Amino acid sequence: MTDYSNHQPRSSWAITLSVWKALFLREAVTRITSSRIAWIWLFLEPIVHFAFMMFMMTVVHSRTIGGLDTAEWLIIGLMSFFMFKRVSAQTKNAIKVNMALYTYRQVQPIDTIFVRAYLEGFLGILLTIMLSVGAVLFGVDMVIDDPLMVMAAFLGLWLMGLGWGLMLSVLDFFLPDISKVVDMLSTPLYILSGVMMPIAAIPEPYRRWIELNPLAHGVEASRLGVSSFYHAMPGLDLAYLYKFAFAMIFFGLLLQRHYRFQLVAK
Amino acid sequence: MIIVDDVHKRYMTDRGPGRWVLQGVNFVIPPKVSVGLIGGNGAGKSTLLRLIGGVDQPNRGKVERLSRVSWPMGLTPGFQPFLTGRQNVKFVCRIHGHEDHIEELVEFVKDFAEIGSSFEEPINTYSSGMKSRLAFGLSLAFDFDFYISDEVTSTGDAAFKQKASNAFKNLANRSSMIMVSHGESVLKEFCTAGIWLYQGKAHWFDDIDDALKAYKDTLPK
Repeated sequence: MTDYSNHQPRSSWAITLSVWKALFLREAVTRITSSRIAWIWLFLEPIVHFAFMMFMMTVVHSRTIGGLDTAEWLIIGLMSFFMFKRVSAQTKNAIKVNMALYTYRQVQPIDTIFVRAYLEGFLGILLTIMLSVGAVLFGVDMVIDDPLMVMAAFLGLWLMGLGWGLMLSVLDFFLPDISKVVDMLSTPLYILSGVMMPIAAIPEPYRRWIELNPLAHGVEASRLGVSSFYHAMPGLDLAYLYKFAFAMIFFGLLLQRHYRFQLVAK
Repeated sequence: MIIVDDVHKRYMTDRGPGRWVLQGVNFVIPPKVSVGLIGGNGAGKSTLLRLIGGVDQPNRGKVERLSRVSWPMGLTPGFQPFLTGRQNVKFVCRIHGHEDHIEELVEFVKDFAEIGSSFEEPINTYSSGMKSRLAFGLSLAFDFDFYISDEVTSTGDAAFKQKASNAFKNLANRSSMIMVSHGESVLKEFCTAGIWLYQGKAHWFDDIDDALKAYKDTLPK
């Protein structure tokens, strides 16, 4: 036991920072060691997606898509989409899963969301780098023309994932049935974001509809960042993705603020 | 010092707001005073403990903690089942800002809990007795002015009970307690003052015996 007779109350920021740090370590260890092969799943999911689609593309004999090597096109598209997908999936459950932690008044529901988003973003970037290195070893030419644009696209998708999680975690808490419907409705996003088909090849007027999906802008922008010769979708506008993301984060924060007491009590 | 000012609390149920559990509760717990909460089942004792511990917020009114107040020490704190005892203890040390002497605190909890090599095993392999040993050790690791205790003393096997009871007495000499217990002797041993919760109101008694007496007077003869 230690004596802290000259104890000063910590500032709110100091408490929050130490909570974030503790949660991060806790979440990271849990994510990697929750089962014996948890860390394998982490890698396997994108690799299986990649292998399956690569196989499909080989069947139709397409070596390049929109001027990009098919493997490169797939890896960048998949990993940028996963920036949204995994962050949103993990943050959505964050509040519910960490229910037991609110016994400690230092831990607030929103902390768990930020920490999970940060962790997933970190893992996403790590995975992207590892997959790219793997692809290079297999002889794929992974040169990036405009790294800043790729980063901006990834960040935009990550922010979308965060905004989504901030909003959906509250919805999931109070109306789990509605949240299931939202989950179901958002499944086609995978297809509608142009992960497995080039949007530029879709005829009008359908393409205009797909261009309403902010995620498609992020996915296409990251491919354009890889090669400036890539035939991206014509209406590409990264600012659209950011506007969407910030609007969602704003409403998400609003919900978190408004329901911060109810979220703890149950 | 803890100031509870006009606190109202009710819980949302699936069918709208429930009844008022606490309705205008006022009291001030001065420093160095141990208090026992007394009342029948459903009188709002645990609710009040949660509010004082800051786990939950009142619907109206406010709770001010001008001292270091522990989390409500019940049977199972927030343990992550996949992580080991050590990792869980470290987590709690970190959120309380004791990163600097974390090793020291972890060793203390390990020694106190006496669960041997299980300390390095995931919590989901623990028996409920082992969990409460760890939880109790953890709650003793930090130096709080007020300990919030919801029937903590009644955990573990006979050997541990003796140790826990001694540690608890030690603690009561250093710090104050805010406790809920249905054991009258426990309350009398640790608490000087008493709060009697009845019909959503709190009644303060400087002497725990008076509080117990007031409570008993309302019981059907």
